[in-house]
Amino acid sequence: MSRLGPQPGEVIDRSEPIDFTWRGRAMSGFAGDTIASALTANGVRIVSRSMKYHRPRGYMTNDFWDPNGLVQVGDDPNVRSAHRLLRPGMTVEPQNAWPSVDRDLRSANSLAGRFLTAGFYYKTFMRPQKLWPLYQKVLSTFAPGGRVDLDTPHDYHDKRYAHPDVVVAGGGPAGMAAAAAAAQAGARVMLVENHHRLGGHLLWGSAADRALTAELAAEAAAAGVEILTNSTVTGRYDDNWLAIVQRSHPISVERLIKARAKTLVVAPGLVERPYVFAGNDKPGVMTSGAVRRFVNMYAVKPGSVAAVFTANADGDAAAADLERVGVEVAGVIDARQGQNIVRARGGAKSVEGVASADGTRLDCDLLVTAVGWTAPTTLLNMAGDRPVYDEAAARFFPSAPIGNVLAAGGIAGDGPAEQIVEHGRATGRLAAERAAVTAHRLRAATARAVPPEGPEPDWPADDRAPLGRDPHPALFRSSTHGIVDFSEDVGSKDLIGAAAEGYDSVELLKRYTTATMGPAQGKLETVNTVAVLAEARGETIAEVGTTVWRPPYAPVTLGALAGRIFEPVRESSIQPWHEAHGAVPTMTGPGISVGDELGDGAQGSTETPILAGQWVRPDRYGDPEEEVLNTRRNVGIIDVTPLGGLDLRGPDVPKLLNLVYINNWTNLAVGSVRYGIMCAEDGVILDDGVTGRLEEERYFMTVTTAGGGTVWEWMENWLQTEHPDWRVHIIPTTTGYTSINVAGPKSRTLLNRLVSDVSLAPEDFGYMRARTGTVAGVEKCFLWRIGFTGELSYELHIPAGHGLHVWQALLDAGRDLGIKPFGLEAQRIMRLEKGHFIVGQDTDGLTKAPATGLGRMVKLEKDDFAGRPELAWALEGDGAPVVVAIQPTDPQIVPEEAAQIVRPGTNQTIGRITSSRMSPTLGRSICLGQVLPEAAAPGSELTVLLVDGRRVTAKVMAHHAHFDPEGERLRG
Amino acid sequence: MADLIPFESPVTKTYDFLQVGTGKEADTPLTLSDLSSTGKTILRADPEAAERVGVGFGASVTVGDLLVSGQRPGEWRLIGPIASAQAFVDGLGLDGFHSVVIHTHSRAMFRLTGERAASALEKVCSLDWSDDMTPDGAAVSATVARVTCDIIRNDDSGVRSYLIACDRSFGQYLFDALVDAGWEFAITVTPWWMRTGNPPSR
Repeated sequence: MSRLGPQPGEVIDRSEPIDFTWRGRAMSGFAGDTIASALTANGVRIVSRSMKYHRPRGYMTNDFWDPNGLVQVGDDPNVRSAHRLLRPGMTVEPQNAWPSVDRDLRSANSLAGRFLTAGFYYKTFMRPQKLWPLYQKVLSTFAPGGRVDLDTPHDYHDKRYAHPDVVVAGGGPAGMAAAAAAAQAGARVMLVENHHRLGGHLLWGSAADRALTAELAAEAAAAGVEILTNSTVTGRYDDNWLAIVQRSHPISVERLIKARAKTLVVAPGLVERPYVFAGNDKPGVMTSGAVRRFVNMYAVKPGSVAAVFTANADGDAAAADLERVGVEVAGVIDARQGQNIVRARGGAKSVEGVASADGTRLDCDLLVTAVGWTAPTTLLNMAGDRPVYDEAAARFFPSAPIGNVLAAGGIAGDGPAEQIVEHGRATGRLAAERAAVTAHRLRAATARAVPPEGPEPDWPADDRAPLGRDPHPALFRSSTHGIVDFSEDVGSKDLIGAAAEGYDSVELLKRYTTATMGPAQGKLETVNTVAVLAEARGETIAEVGTTVWRPPYAPVTLGALAGRIFEPVRESSIQPWHEAHGAVPTMTGPGISVGDELGDGAQGSTETPILAGQWVRPDRYGDPEEEVLNTRRNVGIIDVTPLGGLDLRGPDVPKLLNLVYINNWTNLAVGSVRYGIMCAEDGVILDDGVTGRLEEERYFMTVTTAGGGTVWEWMENWLQTEHPDWRVHIIPTTTGYTSINVAGPKSRTLLNRLVSDVSLAPEDFGYMRARTGTVAGVEKCFLWRIGFTGELSYELHIPAGHGLHVWQALLDAGRDLGIKPFGLEAQRIMRLEKGHFIVGQDTDGLTKAPATGLGRMVKLEKDDFAGRPELAWALEGDGAPVVVAIQPTDPQIVPEEAAQIVRPGTNQTIGRITSSRMSPTLGRSICLGQVLPEAAAPGSELTVLLVDGRRVTAKVMAHHAHFDPEGERLRG
Repeated sequence: MADLIPFESPVTKTYDFLQVGTGKEADTPLTLSDLSSTGKTILRADPEAAERVGVGFGASVTVGDLLVSGQRPGEWRLIGPIASAQAFVDGLGLDGFHSVVIHTHSRAMFRLTGERAASALEKVCSLDWSDDMTPDGAAVSATVARVTCDIIRNDDSGVRSYLIACDRSFGQYLFDALVDAGWEFAITVTPWWMRTGNPPSR
């Protein structure tokens, strides 16, 4: 065990031991431990294998960015073990190793390392092309990462929107001070910290550091700052739209916060950089921060004998910490004195010593490096900043201030803690002031907001005292080669080789070698990559420049991105009845598993309801063919609520109808309804439906199920852009009415029992007429004598709050008449028997009105209407396919919908079947289809190519209607 | 006679218990009520009629037993008894082209009340619910859980409260979405079925 005695700044709770397993072996840690600290406390040194060469790896940075610490926890792959807190019962496994992390046979790759340089895969597996599937299969077995268990239930990923005045990214001293100051200035502030607790580098510092942390955290909390720990600002987009992944919320594993911040303060601190030298990835080589976190936060001894290579005070502090807890410090190699290290000695599995440039050799099992920091300017980059390299300080700094994005703390400069805190406070105050100006603008521009007082304030100037820049030795690579990108196994030799191949631009180099593209997202590797490239090009780092850091700041899970998935579903007021009576919705093929919503024991079904215009609808209650026959013989009712409904008011409604429909609407009498086809400006059918005139200046328009919104927007567009002078109001009322079609020869008998104030006699209420009356005691119902089934039928539009009442009343009153409900499938069969086309099924994105056989409806004598010029041309014969009724010669063959119609003896397509069913009424197969005009004449023989390859013959019919072409039944 | 027929709410689903949240954050109560049967009337007129109506786009006022909201330019929602709405419009003396449409059956309407109501809304709607941007009386249109809604902030005795209305057909879905959003705040669902006291099984 490497657990130390109690440390003054430890974050573990020794009163709460936690048991877990590593590779099946029982181990224990404490609450507050990370997996990394617990493993290290239990003496584990090798935790993973590298991606390509499968080299043994141990913890190197011991923080969120540690590239060597990805492990499998239960069914959760790629867990950052130096960040994830230990939980009771965790089963932790290494990944990317076989058969074990200690003895990984794939480490044989190392032997071929000289051939596995950058671009190896691109160059090697291109030829022969036909072997690629084999290559792919083999290579995929080498893919790094953990195991994804497809049977694991999805975690709950939450989502939230936020509109804080100020978001502070980073909860170190500058971030805490900025958040507190902004909140004290009156701003609503969100403070986002990647780690599990606030404090940044103060957490592993001195007693004074810890006291300062407590003071600042308390100050921020007292000021009302919303503090999100274990959370990351992963992206900054236009207008400070921020994506924040919160991993610390009690109700979900992750919550994606979409925040629109008026000002963003970027205060992520600095990331300690590894050093490139031979053997720099051996287990036991660590940054100074890693060592100090192990010792001071988790009371873990990371080694027994240490050598410390330091260029700064943090390295010195690491050496002091180690000595304090009893680790023998074999030597300090001081870069400030011109000393350097060239090689970590030992086998692949552990460091055993270090060789210095001056020939000194030290034995050790822990090699600490402290060679400087990288400023993670990612969020600033996303706001447009291009960092500039400072040779004296040996790191990049933000180039220019951006109005609503401010940098604070270590990323902006150096200084003692009090200076960093003061810089944070000044930044917080400035952020609040600028947020107030933005808020003023927003409130002035938003009708519902409280109007701002006074004129807009001037944009606050940035009068912060800048932080200094401490000189630091430029240490990136020693005289030897080593690993630059530990996640991707990219070495300095690879980079130099790639540059020699011509990939000598930093952006190209990055993509060719994948350096900086691993889980650390460049935080550890970018500057070293740039330095090695600069060396290869014989230029300075400033001349090479850096890559552009894009979102995400840190890798994001797919679950967080997917978040809550809202899939609105519309239901008619009768839907509960449908479900209670065994209605089956129209289903897809195999898909997402659904529950037992219908109560029919279908739990676990792999089908999902098809939503048309977001509506869930009954497809059938039983056998749809029986439903057809019953409706043709007796009476049936169908819930047609999803039909779009629009209430049109005003004296100029006829003008609008004439504009959007192809037929004439000038003379529609009160109490009449009319069928209309609506075309877009290119003459292509947009929608169809029936509109009735209810009162002198009141019309009710029905449109297709999915077309309600489109038609509403279409008409509003015409009104608002072309005819704002027309006095028309359109009010969508689709769901205001429950619509029921009562169809069948006994429908009039049935309705006579329920309609109290409207005469249903044929001479009083003829076909295509509309009435307003009382149905089953419900007043102000619309009754239309229309139907899609070809039967005597009435479409009832009932105020929706009474829809179920009327539906039930119809069923009760019609029991002796043989009434039964029918679903969509039965309606589809009956409409096909009657030859009614469906927009979007029998028509497509090229079908103009004349092609449907309704050319007579096009009234070119009208002044103007949408699609007129195109329709005039189509009427002259544009050669486009036309809709025809088709019957196969063999009445038992039902061609599939979308089956191709071909020229006999060829595969040349001249049309397709658009709708097909077996007609229970006629006892034969019937179809609608589109064919070229040359084959559309009644009696034409067609060849239909079935899906199974058979060719069958069929005939074009004289009428679209296969059944009752004269319409005697519906007019009866 | 229609008055004798109970109004059927679009919300028919039953919950196993009234309080559905975790209780962990139940520092202040959060309630969701189904007000779908409340009278709703639309008034469409020239936007300049706002002066006579007494409220313009983006705001709402209480007039007797009516809540009048300027939901869109030239469009007001009159929430309350239909007769009151008609009397209100008659009293305006509008002389230009205008329309009055009873919308009670077209819209589901819910009331979300509690100090954490804005927090719950933040989970399903992208608007800024702060007091400055959406004060008491504000009227907005926005998508809530991807459903287009009219939302009026209408505080109840000083407690933050929102009226949320959508197309009736989305009612059950939206109600469920709001219950889900309020779950972490220990939302309480007040009597939700408006039918006969016996919610139908689903």
